[in-house]
Amino acid sequence: MTKDPHDIIIRPWITEKSMAMKEQRKYVFVVHPKANKTEIKNAVETIFGVKVEKVNTMNVKGKRKRVGLHEGKRPDWKKAIVTLKKDSKPIEFFESL
Amino acid sequence: MKVNVEKIENNVATLKIEVDAGEFEKALDQSYRKNVKRFNIPGFRRGKAPRSLIERYYGPEVFYEDAAEIVLSEAYKKGVEENNLEPVDYPRFDIDQIGKGTGIVATAQVTVKPEVELGEYKGLEVEKMVYNVTEEDVEKELKALQEQNARLVSVERPAQTGDVVVIDLEGFVNGEPLKDAKVQNYPVELGSKILVEDLENSITGMKAGETKEVKVTYPAEHPNKDLAGKEVLFKVSLKEVKEKELPPIDDEFAKDVSEFETLEELKQDIKNRLEERAKSFSESSLRGSILKKLVEQAKVDIPKVMVDREIERLIMDFAFQLRLRGLDLKQYLEASQLSMEEFKGKFQERAYNNVKTSLVLEAVAKAENIEVSEEELDEELAKYAESAQKSLAEYKKSLKEEDLEHIKDHILTRKIFDFLKSHAKINEKIVERIVDNESESEEESKLEEQA
Repeated sequence: MTKDPHDIIIRPWITEKSMAMKEQRKYVFVVHPKANKTEIKNAVETIFGVKVEKVNTMNVKGKRKRVGLHEGKRPDWKKAIVTLKKDSKPIEFFESL
Repeated sequence: MKVNVEKIENNVATLKIEVDAGEFEKALDQSYRKNVKRFNIPGFRRGKAPRSLIERYYGPEVFYEDAAEIVLSEAYKKGVEENNLEPVDYPRFDIDQIGKGTGIVATAQVTVKPEVELGEYKGLEVEKMVYNVTEEDVEKELKALQEQNARLVSVERPAQTGDVVVIDLEGFVNGEPLKDAKVQNYPVELGSKILVEDLENSITGMKAGETKEVKVTYPAEHPNKDLAGKEVLFKVSLKEVKEKELPPIDDEFAKDVSEFETLEELKQDIKNRLEERAKSFSESSLRGSILKKLVEQAKVDIPKVMVDREIERLIMDFAFQLRLRGLDLKQYLEASQLSMEEFKGKFQERAYNNVKTSLVLEAVAKAENIEVSEEELDEELAKYAESAQKSLAEYKKSLKEEDLEHIKDHILTRKIFDFLKSHAKINEKIVERIVDNESESEEESKLEEQA
């Protein structure tokens, strides 16, 4: 069963840094932790209709947080930095931000 | 940006303001830059979030208020300038329509200076009070000088009215010594009414060294409530009787009390001074009369804000006067048992008159094109500079912009009066006595007395 691209790309990661990276045609997303680079590439291409040059991924470990005696942990997640090809159009969704 | 005056009614001008989307967008941008620091968006440091994101998070309306203020005040300023309005209050804006893509349509309402209907201000029939200085006045003045220069000489005879006596005094009520009623070596002039009349009368006729007990019944309406209607026993001992020795009025006297050599010269000087006073008195009576007539017949519909502002100003003035004497307004109000509202009411009429007067004078200046030129201002300043012993340029430098305005105002008022005077029918009225007819100062002193 092929995965739905919307299950792979969870949401955009919008921060000061990620906004600045638009200049380099790089877009940052929170993606499914089990997704691989190829899946991410395909998903971005189908959802936004752009050409992806490469995908860098990293696993972000959730921080340990304590409230008094009780220790908890924020969930781990996977971050993907998608670089578009030079001749690709930008991702519209980000432009409107 | 379009501003049109829709109408002026009851001294309220209504301005229609239209701002197109582009200009509004610019204002929104300014508003964004002013307010970014207030918005906190995760992933961004404060003040670093882009405008589009803030609008998404909080809605585009967050910037409207400031943006509207920016464009509207700008448009309003433009409207006031272009249409030569003279606002006397802050404007009130009503926004009819506002939107990112559509711009703003709004109306501004502001109270403007009212039109003054002067009436017939030329040929006013006015009264000028004239006082002719007489020889008697001069004599009176001389007598006063004589009194001032009297010497006291101890005499060995019973005291009589006009003498100064030195006494020890002690008062008792029902055998109890009276508080604050024990004095020693106290000089009193008999006939000056400093002491209770009965007491004074009984001292008259006493000789130095004598002691006497006097019963005095205070009148029921005596201002001191502790004493009113009571019988007080005074023990008086007379220490000394002094007679006033008046110097003879002659050239010698003139030399002593003034820089003049002869009595004639002194008299002339006194006469000149009295005449000077009489002149300025009739001048100010004339001014008062002109002003009264002028203001009376002028019709002007004064907006409430102007009067309210004037009241505020008067009260500030009053509070300042109080502070000079170490009181503050709150204490004063408590002491006189007035609420702020009542207190304001007291100033109502005066404020109204002040505003009307200044509006009327302004209208006269406008109608007759009375202006103060730079030369006239310099001339006036030169006078001040001279008395301050500075050069004109130096003096001018030491003045602030508002001081200059003030002086200019002063000259303008004078010129207006000169104009009115030269066009008025002046009836001279001989008066017996110089009276101050400035009711303003009366009112003020009344209030101050209470304080």
